[in-house]
Amino acid sequence: MNRWKKEKTATIKPYKRPTLSGDGFGGRFGYFVARAITNIRQNIFVNVVTVGTITIALLIVSLFLLVFINLEGAVENWSERVQVTVYFDKELTTSEQSVFRDKILALPGALRVGYVSRDEALKRFKNRLRGQETLLEGVRSDVLPSSFEIALKRASRETESVETFVSALKRIPGITEVQYGEEWVRRFNSFLSFVRLMGVLVGGFLVIAVLFIVSNTIKLTIYARRDELEVMALVGATRFFIKAPFLLEGLLQGLAGSTISIALLFGLYEGFLHNADSFLTFNPVTSGLGFLPLEYIVGIFVSGAVLGFVGSFTSLRRFINV
Amino acid sequence: MIQLHNVSMAYQQDASALNNVNLKIGKGEFVFLTGPSGAGKTTLLRLLYGALAPNRGQVLIDGQNISRLPASQIPYLRRSVGVVFQDFKLLQNRTVFENVAITLEVLGWGKADIGKKVMHILKQMGIESKYSLTPQRLSGGEQQRVALARALVNDPKILLADEPTGNLDDANKNQILSIFKEANVRGTTVVVATHDRRLIEQSHKRLVVLNKGEIVEQMEKGKNGDDQAL
Ligand SMILES: Nc1ncnc2c1ncn2[C@@H]1O[C@H](COP(=O)(O)OP(=O)(O)OP(=O)(O)O)[C@@H](O)[C@H]1O
Ligand SMILES: [Mg+2]
Repeated sequence: MNRWKKEKTATIKPYKRPTLSGDGFGGRFGYFVARAITNIRQNIFVNVVTVGTITIALLIVSLFLLVFINLEGAVENWSERVQVTVYFDKELTTSEQSVFRDKILALPGALRVGYVSRDEALKRFKNRLRGQETLLEGVRSDVLPSSFEIALKRASRETESVETFVSALKRIPGITEVQYGEEWVRRFNSFLSFVRLMGVLVGGFLVIAVLFIVSNTIKLTIYARRDELEVMALVGATRFFIKAPFLLEGLLQGLAGSTISIALLFGLYEGFLHNADSFLTFNPVTSGLGFLPLEYIVGIFVSGAVLGFVGSFTSLRRFINV
Repeated sequence: MIQLHNVSMAYQQDASALNNVNLKIGKGEFVFLTGPSGAGKTTLLRLLYGALAPNRGQVLIDGQNISRLPASQIPYLRRSVGVVFQDFKLLQNRTVFENVAITLEVLGWGKADIGKKVMHILKQMGIESKYSLTPQRLSGGEQQRVALARALVNDPKILLADEPTGNLDDANKNQILSIFKEANVRGTTVVVATHDRRLIEQSHKRLVVLNKGEIVEQMEKGKNGDDQAL
Protein backbone atom coordinates (compact mmCIF):
# COMPACT_ATOMS: atom_id res chain seq x y z
CA MET A 1 0.00 0.00 0.00
CA ASN A 2 2.65 2.50 1.03
CA ARG A 3 4.54 1.87 -2.14
CA TRP A 4 1.67 3.25 -4.16
CA LYS A 5 1.20 6.29 -2.00
CA LYS A 6 4.78 7.38 -2.54
CA GLU A 7 4.36 7.68 -6.27
CA LYS A 8 2.68 11.08 -6.11
CA THR A 9 5.07 13.02 -8.33
CA ALA A 10 3.22 13.62 -11.55
CA THR A 11 6.09 14.48 -13.82
CA ILE A 12 7.67 12.38 -16.48
CA LYS A 13 11.10 13.30 -17.65
CA PRO A 14 11.48 13.56 -21.40
CA TYR A 15 12.51 10.20 -22.68
CA LYS A 16 15.87 9.95 -24.35
CA ARG A 17 16.02 11.20 -27.89
CA PRO A 18 18.61 9.68 -30.18
CA THR A 19 20.44 11.56 -32.94
CA LEU A 20 19.29 15.12 -32.94
CA SER A 21 20.67 16.51 -36.18
CA GLY A 22 17.75 18.92 -36.70
CA ASP A 23 17.41 20.01 -33.13
CA GLY A 24 17.42 23.37 -31.41
CA PHE A 25 15.09 26.18 -32.35
CA GLY A 26 16.82 26.73 -35.71
CA GLY A 27 16.51 23.11 -36.74
CA ARG A 28 12.94 22.98 -35.50
CA PHE A 29 12.03 26.17 -37.33
CA GLY A 30 13.35 24.69 -40.54
CA TYR A 31 11.24 21.63 -39.91
CA PHE A 32 8.13 23.71 -39.23
CA VAL A 33 8.56 25.71 -42.44
CA ALA A 34 9.15 22.55 -44.47
CA ARG A 35 6.16 20.91 -42.80
CA ALA A 36 3.93 23.92 -43.49
CA ILE A 37 4.91 23.93 -47.16
CA THR A 38 4.37 20.18 -47.49
CA ASN A 39 1.02 20.57 -45.75
CA ILE A 40 -0.03 23.22 -48.24
CA ARG A 41 0.96 20.92 -51.09
CA GLN A 42 -0.84 17.92 -49.59
CA ASN A 43 -3.97 19.85 -48.67
CA ILE A 44 -4.14 21.99 -51.77
CA PHE A 45 -7.92 22.12 -51.96
CA VAL A 46 -8.32 23.21 -48.37
CA ASN A 47 -5.65 25.85 -48.90
CA VAL A 48 -7.25 27.17 -52.06
CA VAL A 49 -10.53 27.53 -50.17
CA THR A 50 -8.90 29.37 -47.28
CA VAL A 51 -6.77 31.67 -49.43
CA GLY A 52 -9.78 32.33 -51.66
CA THR A 53 -11.93 33.26 -48.69
CA ILE A 54 -9.28 35.56 -47.24
CA THR A 55 -8.77 37.12 -50.68
CA ILE A 56 -12.44 37.84 -51.21
CA ALA A 57 -12.82 39.09 -47.64
CA LEU A 58 -9.93 41.51 -47.93
CA LEU A 59 -10.97 42.55 -51.43
CA ILE A 60 -14.43 43.51 -50.21
CA VAL A 61 -13.02 45.50 -47.31
CA SER A 62 -10.29 47.19 -49.36
CA LEU A 63 -12.67 48.00 -52.20
CA PHE A 64 -14.91 49.64 -49.66
CA LEU A 65 -11.94 51.54 -48.24
CA LEU A 66 -10.93 52.71 -51.70
CA VAL A 67 -14.40 54.00 -52.51
CA PHE A 68 -14.78 55.55 -49.09
CA ILE A 69 -11.43 57.32 -49.12
CA ASN A 70 -12.11 58.83 -52.54
CA LEU A 71 -15.62 59.83 -51.58
CA GLU A 72 -14.46 61.43 -48.38
CA GLY A 73 -11.67 63.21 -50.24
CA ALA A 74 -14.16 64.58 -52.76
CA VAL A 75 -16.53 65.72 -50.04
CA GLU A 76 -13.73 67.35 -48.12
CA ASN A 77 -12.67 69.26 -51.19
CA TRP A 78 -16.04 70.88 -51.30
CA SER A 79 -15.23 72.43 -47.96
CA GLU A 80 -12.91 74.78 -49.87
CA ARG A 81 -16.12 76.65 -50.44
CA VAL A 82 -16.47 77.42 -46.76
CA GLN A 83 -15.60 81.09 -46.94
CA VAL A 84 -16.17 84.09 -44.75
CA THR A 85 -16.75 87.45 -46.37
CA VAL A 86 -16.39 90.85 -44.67
CA TYR A 87 -18.19 93.73 -46.42
CA PHE A 88 -17.34 97.42 -46.37
CA ASP A 89 -19.54 100.13 -47.77
CA LYS A 90 -16.55 102.10 -49.06
CA GLU A 91 -13.41 101.39 -51.00
CA LEU A 92 -10.44 100.75 -48.69
CA THR A 93 -7.15 102.48 -49.15
CA THR A 94 -4.09 100.32 -49.62
CA SER A 95 -2.90 101.01 -46.10
CA GLU A 96 -6.33 100.22 -44.67
CA GLN A 97 -6.32 97.00 -46.65
CA SER A 98 -3.01 95.88 -45.21
CA VAL A 99 -4.06 96.77 -41.66
CA PHE A 100 -7.18 94.66 -41.96
CA ARG A 101 -5.32 91.90 -43.77
CA ASP A 102 -2.77 91.61 -40.94
CA LYS A 103 -5.44 91.65 -38.26
CA ILE A 104 -7.52 88.97 -40.00
CA LEU A 105 -4.56 86.72 -40.72
CA ALA A 106 -3.58 86.97 -37.05
CA LEU A 107 -6.83 85.22 -36.13
CA PRO A 108 -6.49 81.48 -35.53
CA GLY A 109 -7.98 79.52 -38.41
CA ALA A 110 -7.48 82.07 -41.17
CA LEU A 111 -5.77 80.61 -44.22
CA ARG A 112 -5.90 83.25 -46.98
CA VAL A 113 -7.34 86.71 -47.34
CA GLY A 114 -8.24 88.32 -50.66
CA TYR A 115 -9.44 91.88 -51.18
CA VAL A 116 -12.27 92.38 -53.66
CA SER A 117 -12.54 96.00 -54.77
CA ARG A 118 -15.79 97.57 -55.95
CA ASP A 119 -14.65 97.34 -59.58
CA GLU A 120 -13.76 93.72 -59.15
CA ALA A 121 -17.15 93.05 -57.58
CA LEU A 122 -18.90 94.68 -60.51
CA LYS A 123 -16.86 92.65 -62.96
CA ARG A 124 -17.87 89.41 -61.20
CA PHE A 125 -21.47 90.53 -61.13
CA LYS A 126 -21.43 91.18 -64.85
CA ASN A 127 -19.86 87.81 -65.48
CA ARG A 128 -22.60 86.13 -63.61
CA LEU A 129 -25.28 87.91 -65.57
CA ARG A 130 -23.69 87.28 -68.93
CA GLY A 131 -26.26 87.56 -71.68
CA GLN A 132 -28.43 89.85 -69.63
CA GLU A 133 -25.98 92.76 -69.37
CA THR A 134 -28.77 95.18 -70.14
CA LEU A 135 -30.01 94.69 -66.59
CA LEU A 136 -26.83 96.28 -65.34
CA GLU A 137 -26.91 99.30 -67.57
CA GLY A 138 -26.34 102.39 -65.53
CA VAL A 139 -25.13 100.44 -62.53
CA ARG A 140 -21.88 101.87 -61.30
CA SER A 141 -19.38 100.14 -59.13
CA ASP A 142 -20.01 102.39 -56.14
CA VAL A 143 -23.37 100.79 -55.39
CA LEU A 144 -21.56 97.55 -54.67
CA PRO A 145 -19.63 96.88 -51.46
CA SER A 146 -15.94 96.11 -51.37
CA SER A 147 -14.99 93.05 -49.38
CA PHE A 148 -12.40 90.71 -47.91
CA GLU A 149 -12.82 87.05 -48.77
CA ILE A 150 -11.31 84.77 -46.12
CA ALA A 151 -10.51 81.11 -46.70
CA LEU A 152 -10.26 79.00 -43.60
CA LYS A 153 -7.82 76.32 -42.62
CA ARG A 154 -9.17 72.79 -43.08
CA ALA A 155 -9.47 72.20 -39.35
CA SER A 156 -11.54 75.34 -38.91
CA ARG A 157 -14.26 74.57 -41.44
CA GLU A 158 -16.64 72.91 -39.01
CA THR A 159 -19.78 74.78 -38.02
CA GLU A 160 -18.63 75.72 -34.54
CA SER A 161 -15.10 76.75 -35.50
CA VAL A 162 -16.55 78.94 -38.24
CA GLU A 163 -18.86 80.60 -35.73
CA THR A 164 -15.98 81.17 -33.31
CA PHE A 165 -13.93 82.63 -36.11
CA VAL A 166 -16.71 84.96 -37.18
CA SER A 167 -17.27 86.31 -33.67
CA ALA A 168 -13.52 86.93 -33.34
CA LEU A 169 -13.64 88.68 -36.67
CA LYS A 170 -16.47 90.92 -35.54
CA ARG A 171 -14.40 92.08 -32.57
CA ILE A 172 -11.91 93.74 -34.96
CA PRO A 173 -12.80 97.46 -34.90
CA GLY A 174 -14.23 98.60 -38.22
CA ILE A 175 -15.64 95.23 -39.18
CA THR A 176 -19.40 95.09 -38.91
CA GLU A 177 -20.81 93.10 -41.74
CA VAL A 178 -19.81 89.48 -41.99
CA GLN A 179 -21.39 86.75 -44.08
CA TYR A 180 -20.44 83.12 -44.23
CA GLY A 181 -23.29 81.10 -45.71
CA GLU A 182 -24.29 79.86 -42.29
CA GLU A 183 -26.86 77.45 -43.59
CA TRP A 184 -24.57 75.96 -46.21
CA VAL A 185 -21.75 75.41 -43.74
CA ARG A 186 -24.11 73.67 -41.40
CA ARG A 187 -25.56 71.43 -44.02
CA PHE A 188 -22.21 70.64 -45.51
CA ASN A 189 -20.80 69.65 -42.15
CA SER A 190 -23.71 67.44 -41.23
CA PHE A 191 -23.41 65.77 -44.63
CA LEU A 192 -19.73 65.15 -44.01
CA SER A 193 -20.41 63.59 -40.61
CA PHE A 194 -23.15 61.51 -42.20
CA VAL A 195 -20.73 60.20 -44.82
CA ARG A 196 -18.21 59.36 -42.11
CA LEU A 197 -20.80 57.68 -39.91
CA MET A 198 -22.07 55.58 -42.80
CA GLY A 199 -18.50 54.69 -43.61
CA VAL A 200 -17.82 53.51 -40.08
CA LEU A 201 -21.14 51.61 -39.91
CA VAL A 202 -20.88 49.92 -43.29
CA GLY A 203 -17.16 49.33 -42.85
CA GLY A 204 -17.65 47.93 -39.36
CA PHE A 205 -20.42 45.67 -40.57
CA LEU A 206 -18.25 44.43 -43.44
CA VAL A 207 -15.32 43.76 -41.14
CA ILE A 208 -17.48 41.77 -38.73
CA ALA A 209 -19.08 39.75 -41.53
CA VAL A 210 -15.69 39.08 -43.06
CA LEU A 211 -14.14 38.05 -39.74
CA PHE A 212 -17.04 35.68 -39.17
CA ILE A 213 -16.74 34.07 -42.59
CA VAL A 214 -12.96 33.77 -42.50
CA SER A 215 -12.83 32.36 -38.99
CA ASN A 216 -15.50 29.81 -39.83
CA THR A 217 -13.73 28.76 -43.00
CA ILE A 218 -10.47 28.27 -41.12
CA LYS A 219 -12.31 26.37 -38.41
CA LEU A 220 -13.84 24.06 -41.01
CA THR A 221 -10.56 23.46 -42.81
CA ILE A 222 -8.84 22.61 -39.56
CA TYR A 223 -11.76 20.41 -38.58
CA ALA A 224 -11.30 18.58 -41.87
CA ARG A 225 -7.73 17.84 -40.80
CA ARG A 226 -8.41 16.89 -37.19
CA ASP A 227 -7.06 13.37 -37.81
CA GLU A 228 -3.69 14.98 -38.44
CA LEU A 229 -3.86 16.71 -35.08
CA GLU A 230 -4.98 13.48 -33.45
CA VAL A 231 -2.15 11.40 -34.91
CA MET A 232 0.46 13.98 -33.97
CA ALA A 233 -0.81 13.98 -30.41
CA LEU A 234 -0.87 10.18 -30.38
CA VAL A 235 2.81 9.84 -31.25
CA GLY A 236 3.78 12.32 -28.55
CA ALA A 237 3.99 15.71 -30.24
CA THR A 238 3.79 18.65 -27.86
CA ARG A 239 1.03 21.18 -28.41
CA PHE A 240 3.52 23.70 -29.75
CA PHE A 241 4.92 21.16 -32.18
CA ILE A 242 1.45 20.33 -33.50
CA LYS A 243 0.39 23.94 -33.78
CA ALA A 244 3.49 25.58 -35.23
CA PRO A 245 3.13 24.29 -38.83
CA PHE A 246 -0.58 25.15 -38.83
CA LEU A 247 0.13 28.67 -37.58
CA LEU A 248 2.80 29.17 -40.24
CA GLU A 249 0.37 27.83 -42.79
CA GLY A 250 -2.25 30.33 -41.60
CA LEU A 251 0.28 33.15 -41.83
CA LEU A 252 1.22 32.17 -45.38
CA GLN A 253 -2.45 31.84 -46.35
CA GLY A 254 -3.11 35.33 -44.97
CA LEU A 255 -0.16 36.86 -46.83
CA ALA A 256 -1.15 35.09 -50.06
CA GLY A 257 -4.75 36.25 -49.64
CA SER A 258 -3.76 39.87 -49.03
CA THR A 259 -1.31 39.91 -51.95
CA ILE A 260 -3.91 38.56 -54.35
CA SER A 261 -6.61 40.91 -53.06
CA ILE A 262 -4.38 43.98 -53.44
CA ALA A 263 -3.43 42.86 -56.95
CA LEU A 264 -7.10 42.38 -57.84
CA LEU A 265 -8.01 45.73 -56.30
CA PHE A 266 -5.30 47.45 -58.30
CA GLY A 267 -6.53 45.70 -61.44
CA LEU A 268 -10.07 46.89 -60.76
CA TYR A 269 -8.84 50.41 -60.07
CA GLU A 270 -6.79 50.57 -63.27
CA GLY A 271 -9.61 49.11 -65.29
CA PHE A 272 -12.02 51.65 -63.87
CA LEU A 273 -9.61 54.51 -64.50
CA HIS A 274 -9.18 53.69 -68.17
CA ASN A 275 -12.69 52.69 -69.07
CA ALA A 276 -14.89 54.77 -66.84
CA ASP A 277 -14.90 58.02 -68.86
CA SER A 278 -17.04 56.29 -71.47
CA PHE A 279 -19.93 55.90 -69.06
CA LEU A 280 -19.24 58.55 -66.46
CA THR A 281 -19.70 62.25 -66.93
CA PHE A 282 -16.24 62.97 -65.60
CA ASN A 283 -12.80 61.72 -66.45
CA PRO A 284 -11.50 59.82 -63.42
CA VAL A 285 -7.87 60.25 -64.51
CA THR A 286 -8.02 64.01 -64.19
CA SER A 287 -10.47 64.13 -61.31
CA GLY A 288 -7.85 63.04 -58.81
CA LEU A 289 -9.25 59.59 -58.13
CA GLY A 290 -6.49 57.96 -56.10
CA PHE A 291 -5.48 54.40 -55.18
CA LEU A 292 -5.16 53.42 -51.54
CA PRO A 293 -2.34 55.23 -49.73
CA LEU A 294 0.69 53.12 -48.84
CA GLU A 295 -0.16 52.82 -45.15
CA TYR A 296 -3.52 51.28 -46.06
CA ILE A 297 -1.83 48.72 -48.32
CA VAL A 298 0.59 47.83 -45.54
CA GLY A 299 -2.44 47.63 -43.26
CA ILE A 300 -4.15 45.16 -45.59
CA PHE A 301 -1.03 42.98 -45.65
CA VAL A 302 -0.83 43.03 -41.89
CA SER A 303 -4.56 42.29 -41.52
CA GLY A 304 -4.22 39.36 -43.92
CA ALA A 305 -1.34 37.90 -41.94
CA VAL A 306 -3.08 38.52 -38.63
CA LEU A 307 -6.34 37.07 -39.98
CA GLY A 308 -4.64 33.84 -41.11
CA PHE A 309 -2.56 33.48 -37.97
CA VAL A 310 -5.17 34.35 -35.38
CA GLY A 311 -7.85 32.40 -37.26
CA SER A 312 -5.69 29.28 -37.16
CA PHE A 313 -4.68 29.94 -33.58
CA THR A 314 -8.22 30.19 -32.24
CA SER A 315 -9.46 27.27 -34.34
CA LEU A 316 -6.62 25.04 -33.13
CA ARG A 317 -7.51 25.80 -29.55
CA ARG A 318 -10.84 24.10 -30.11
CA PHE A 319 -9.33 20.87 -31.41
CA ILE A 320 -6.17 20.43 -29.41
CA ASN A 321 -7.19 19.56 -25.91
CA VAL A 322 -4.44 17.10 -25.27
CA MET B 1 5.81 -1.72 -16.11
CA ILE B 2 2.07 -1.10 -15.88
CA GLN B 3 0.20 -0.97 -12.59
CA LEU B 4 -3.42 -0.06 -11.94
CA HIS B 5 -4.39 0.41 -8.35
CA ASN B 6 -8.08 0.69 -7.37
CA VAL B 7 -8.82 2.44 -10.63
CA SER B 8 -12.37 3.63 -11.25
CA MET B 9 -13.50 5.56 -14.25
CA ALA B 10 -16.92 6.86 -15.23
CA TYR B 11 -17.76 8.91 -18.30
CA GLN B 12 -21.08 9.89 -16.76
CA GLN B 13 -22.04 10.25 -13.14
CA ASP B 14 -23.98 7.02 -12.66
CA ALA B 15 -22.53 4.63 -15.28
CA SER B 16 -19.02 3.47 -14.45
CA ALA B 17 -16.83 2.16 -17.24
CA LEU B 18 -14.18 0.75 -14.89
CA ASN B 19 -14.80 -0.20 -11.30
CA ASN B 20 -12.02 -0.64 -8.77
CA VAL B 21 -9.61 -2.33 -11.17
CA ASN B 22 -6.28 -3.70 -9.90
CA LEU B 23 -3.86 -4.93 -12.50
CA LYS B 24 -0.13 -5.45 -12.71
CA ILE B 25 1.65 -6.09 -15.97
CA GLY B 26 5.36 -6.78 -15.77
CA LYS B 27 8.10 -5.55 -18.07
CA GLY B 28 8.22 -7.59 -21.25
CA GLU B 29 4.85 -9.23 -20.69
CA PHE B 30 2.29 -9.94 -23.40
CA VAL B 31 -1.30 -9.57 -22.22
CA PHE B 32 -4.65 -9.99 -23.92
CA LEU B 33 -7.53 -7.98 -22.61
CA THR B 34 -10.93 -9.38 -23.48
CA GLY B 35 -14.56 -9.23 -22.48
CA PRO B 36 -17.93 -8.38 -23.96
CA SER B 37 -18.67 -5.13 -25.69
CA GLY B 38 -18.83 -2.26 -23.22
CA ALA B 39 -16.72 -4.13 -20.67
CA GLY B 40 -14.19 -1.29 -20.46
CA LYS B 41 -11.30 -2.56 -22.59
CA THR B 42 -10.91 0.59 -24.62
CA THR B 43 -11.32 2.70 -21.51
CA LEU B 44 -8.51 0.82 -19.79
CA LEU B 45 -6.16 1.29 -22.73
CA ARG B 46 -6.99 4.99 -22.95
CA LEU B 47 -5.95 5.37 -19.32
CA LEU B 48 -2.59 3.86 -20.21
CA TYR B 49 -1.68 6.42 -22.88
CA GLY B 50 -3.05 9.42 -21.05
CA ALA B 51 -6.13 9.98 -23.19
CA LEU B 52 -8.20 9.69 -20.03
CA ALA B 53 -7.53 10.28 -16.38
CA PRO B 54 -9.14 7.96 -13.84
CA ASN B 55 -11.74 9.31 -11.43
CA ARG B 56 -10.18 7.33 -8.62
CA GLY B 57 -7.09 5.25 -8.12
CA GLN B 58 -3.64 5.39 -9.64
CA VAL B 59 -2.14 4.38 -12.93
CA LEU B 60 1.60 3.80 -12.94
CA ILE B 61 3.71 3.43 -16.02
CA ASP B 62 7.32 2.52 -15.45
CA GLY B 63 6.98 3.50 -11.80
CA GLN B 64 5.53 6.93 -12.53
CA ASN B 65 2.04 7.94 -11.59
CA ILE B 66 0.29 9.21 -14.69
CA SER B 67 -3.21 9.52 -13.26
CA ARG B 68 -2.76 13.25 -12.57
CA LEU B 69 -0.30 14.02 -15.31
CA PRO B 70 -0.47 17.66 -16.46
CA ALA B 71 -1.39 18.02 -20.13
CA SER B 72 2.07 19.34 -20.94
CA GLN B 73 3.65 16.08 -19.80
CA ILE B 74 1.42 13.68 -21.73
CA PRO B 75 3.40 13.95 -24.99
CA TYR B 76 6.49 12.66 -23.19
CA LEU B 77 4.54 9.67 -21.87
CA ARG B 78 3.31 8.89 -25.38
CA ARG B 79 6.80 8.85 -26.80
CA SER B 80 7.37 5.59 -24.98
CA VAL B 81 3.94 4.12 -25.68
CA GLY B 82 2.93 2.94 -29.15
CA VAL B 83 -0.79 2.67 -29.91
CA VAL B 84 -2.70 1.00 -32.77
CA PHE B 85 -6.42 0.86 -33.45
CA GLN B 86 -8.96 -1.12 -35.42
CA ASP B 87 -9.35 1.78 -37.86
CA PHE B 88 -5.57 2.31 -38.18
CA LYS B 89 -5.77 6.13 -37.97
CA LEU B 90 -3.40 6.68 -40.88
CA LEU B 91 -3.20 10.03 -42.66
CA GLN B 92 -4.74 9.50 -46.08
CA ASN B 93 -2.93 12.34 -47.80
CA ARG B 94 0.52 11.19 -46.76
CA THR B 95 2.57 8.29 -48.01
CA VAL B 96 3.35 5.17 -46.01
CA PHE B 97 6.82 6.54 -45.42
CA GLU B 98 5.53 9.88 -44.16
CA ASN B 99 2.97 8.23 -41.92
CA VAL B 100 5.70 6.27 -40.15
CA ALA B 101 8.18 9.15 -40.14
CA ILE B 102 5.84 11.32 -38.02
CA THR B 103 6.84 9.47 -34.87
CA LEU B 104 10.51 10.26 -35.38
CA GLU B 105 9.94 13.82 -36.59
CA VAL B 106 8.20 14.51 -33.32
CA LEU B 107 11.28 13.24 -31.50
CA GLY B 108 13.46 15.64 -33.46
CA TRP B 109 15.35 13.10 -35.49
CA GLY B 110 17.31 14.23 -38.53
CA LYS B 111 16.19 13.45 -42.05
CA ALA B 112 18.87 10.90 -42.84
CA ASP B 113 18.31 8.93 -39.64
CA ILE B 114 14.56 8.99 -40.16
CA GLY B 115 15.00 7.63 -43.68
CA LYS B 116 17.14 4.72 -42.51
CA LYS B 117 15.02 3.83 -39.50
CA VAL B 118 11.70 4.04 -41.32
CA MET B 119 12.83 1.89 -44.22
CA HIS B 120 14.26 -0.58 -41.75
CA ILE B 121 10.98 -1.02 -39.91
CA LEU B 122 8.96 -1.12 -43.14
CA LYS B 123 11.20 -3.98 -44.21
CA GLN B 124 10.50 -5.77 -40.93
CA MET B 125 6.80 -5.36 -41.61
CA GLY B 126 7.25 -6.61 -45.14
CA ILE B 127 5.85 -3.46 -46.76
CA GLU B 128 9.01 -1.61 -47.79
CA SER B 129 7.98 -1.73 -51.45
CA LYS B 130 4.86 0.29 -50.66
CA TYR B 131 6.66 3.15 -48.97
CA SER B 132 5.63 5.75 -51.55
CA LEU B 133 1.95 4.80 -51.73
CA THR B 134 -0.86 6.46 -49.82
CA PRO B 135 -2.85 4.27 -47.39
CA GLN B 136 -5.98 4.01 -49.53
CA ARG B 137 -4.01 1.98 -52.04
CA LEU B 138 -3.11 -0.66 -49.44
CA SER B 139 -5.05 -3.64 -48.17
CA GLY B 140 -6.40 -3.61 -44.62
CA GLY B 141 -3.60 -5.85 -43.39
CA GLU B 142 -0.98 -3.65 -45.00
CA GLN B 143 -2.54 -0.56 -43.48
CA GLN B 144 -2.44 -2.13 -40.03
CA ARG B 145 1.22 -2.96 -40.57
CA VAL B 146 1.87 0.70 -41.43
CA ALA B 147 0.11 1.68 -38.21
CA LEU B 148 2.24 -0.85 -36.34
CA ALA B 149 5.38 0.48 -37.96
CA ARG B 150 4.41 3.98 -36.81
CA ALA B 151 3.83 2.70 -33.28
CA LEU B 152 7.00 0.62 -33.09
CA VAL B 153 9.51 2.69 -35.04
CA ASN B 154 10.95 4.36 -31.95
CA ASP B 155 11.14 1.10 -29.96
CA PRO B 156 8.49 2.01 -27.37
CA LYS B 157 8.50 0.42 -23.94
CA ILE B 158 4.82 -0.40 -24.31
CA LEU B 159 2.62 -1.28 -27.26
CA LEU B 160 -1.14 -0.91 -26.84
CA ALA B 161 -3.52 -2.34 -29.44
CA ASP B 162 -7.28 -1.87 -29.44
CA GLU B 163 -9.04 -4.49 -31.57
CA PRO B 164 -6.09 -4.49 -33.99
CA THR B 165 -7.35 -7.34 -36.15
CA GLY B 166 -11.01 -6.40 -36.16
CA ASN B 167 -11.16 -5.82 -39.89
CA LEU B 168 -8.67 -8.40 -41.05
CA ASP B 169 -8.80 -11.93 -42.49
CA ASP B 170 -6.98 -14.87 -40.92
CA ALA B 171 -3.78 -14.60 -42.94
CA ASN B 172 -3.45 -10.95 -42.01
CA LYS B 173 -4.34 -11.63 -38.39
CA ASN B 174 -1.49 -14.11 -38.14
CA GLN B 175 0.95 -11.64 -39.65
CA ILE B 176 -0.10 -8.95 -37.20
CA LEU B 177 0.12 -11.38 -34.30
CA SER B 178 3.64 -12.37 -35.24
CA ILE B 179 4.63 -8.71 -35.37
CA PHE B 180 3.31 -8.31 -31.83
CA LYS B 181 5.29 -11.31 -30.74
CA GLU B 182 8.49 -10.07 -32.37
CA ALA B 183 8.13 -6.70 -30.70
CA ASN B 184 7.53 -8.51 -27.43
CA VAL B 185 10.63 -10.60 -27.89
CA ARG B 186 12.65 -7.43 -28.39
CA GLY B 187 11.45 -6.29 -24.95
CA THR B 188 8.29 -4.27 -25.59
CA THR B 189 5.43 -4.84 -23.16
CA VAL B 190 2.35 -5.63 -25.26
CA VAL B 191 -1.30 -5.17 -24.29
CA VAL B 192 -3.91 -6.20 -26.85
CA ALA B 193 -7.63 -5.65 -26.35
CA THR B 194 -9.67 -7.98 -28.51
CA HIS B 195 -12.86 -9.95 -28.90
CA ASP B 196 -11.09 -12.41 -31.10
CA ARG B 197 -11.17 -15.85 -29.44
CA ARG B 198 -8.99 -17.50 -32.05
CA LEU B 199 -6.30 -14.87 -31.78
CA ILE B 200 -6.16 -15.38 -28.02
CA GLU B 201 -6.21 -19.16 -28.20
CA GLN B 202 -3.49 -19.28 -30.83
CA SER B 203 -1.03 -17.14 -29.00
CA HIS B 204 -0.91 -18.71 -25.53
CA LYS B 205 -0.44 -15.50 -23.62
CA ARG B 206 -1.70 -14.10 -20.39
CA LEU B 207 -5.38 -13.22 -20.51
CA VAL B 208 -7.34 -10.65 -18.53
CA VAL B 209 -11.12 -10.79 -18.81
CA LEU B 210 -13.16 -7.70 -18.10
CA ASN B 211 -16.89 -7.52 -17.62
CA LYS B 212 -18.92 -4.44 -16.74
CA GLY B 213 -15.79 -2.59 -15.75
CA GLU B 214 -14.39 -5.26 -13.45
CA ILE B 215 -11.74 -7.89 -13.89
CA VAL B 216 -13.64 -11.16 -13.62
CA GLU B 217 -10.98 -13.66 -14.62
CA GLN B 218 -7.25 -13.86 -15.19
CA MET B 219 -5.35 -16.64 -16.82
CA GLU B 220 -1.58 -17.01 -16.93
CA LYS B 221 0.06 -18.13 -20.15
CA GLY B 222 -2.41 -20.69 -21.44
CA LYS B 223 -0.99 -23.97 -22.68
CA ASN B 224 -2.38 -25.16 -25.93
CA GLY B 225 -6.03 -26.09 -25.49
CA ASP B 226 -6.14 -25.29 -21.78
CA ASP B 227 -8.12 -22.13 -22.00
CA GLN B 228 -10.95 -23.56 -24.04
CA ALA B 229 -13.07 -23.18 -20.92
CA LEU B 230 -13.31 -19.48 -21.59
N1 LIG C 1 -16.75 8.59 -24.85
C1 LIG C 1 -17.64 7.97 -24.04
N2 LIG C 1 -18.61 8.70 -23.45
C2 LIG C 1 -19.50 8.10 -22.62
N3 LIG C 1 -19.49 6.79 -22.34
C3 LIG C 1 -18.55 6.03 -22.90
C4 LIG C 1 -17.58 6.59 -23.79
N4 LIG C 1 -16.77 5.58 -24.20
C5 LIG C 1 -17.22 4.48 -23.61
N5 LIG C 1 -18.28 4.72 -22.83
C6 LIG C 1 -19.00 3.74 -21.99
O1 LIG C 1 -18.08 3.15 -21.13
C7 LIG C 1 -18.28 1.75 -21.08
C8 LIG C 1 -17.02 1.01 -21.48
O2 LIG C 1 -16.75 1.31 -22.81
P1 LIG C 1 -15.48 0.77 -23.59
O3 LIG C 1 -15.40 1.50 -24.87
O4 LIG C 1 -14.31 0.86 -22.69
O5 LIG C 1 -15.88 -0.74 -23.83
P2 LIG C 1 -15.10 -1.85 -24.69
O6 LIG C 1 -14.82 -2.96 -23.76
O7 LIG C 1 -13.96 -1.23 -25.40
O8 LIG C 1 -16.24 -2.24 -25.73
P3 LIG C 1 -16.06 -2.76 -27.24
O9 LIG C 1 -15.64 -4.16 -27.16
O10 LIG C 1 -17.43 -2.61 -27.83
O11 LIG C 1 -15.06 -1.86 -27.89
C9 LIG C 1 -19.46 1.44 -21.97
O12 LIG C 1 -20.60 1.33 -21.14
C10 LIG C 1 -19.57 2.64 -22.86
O13 LIG C 1 -20.92 2.90 -23.17
MG1 LIG D 1 -13.45 -0.90 -27.44
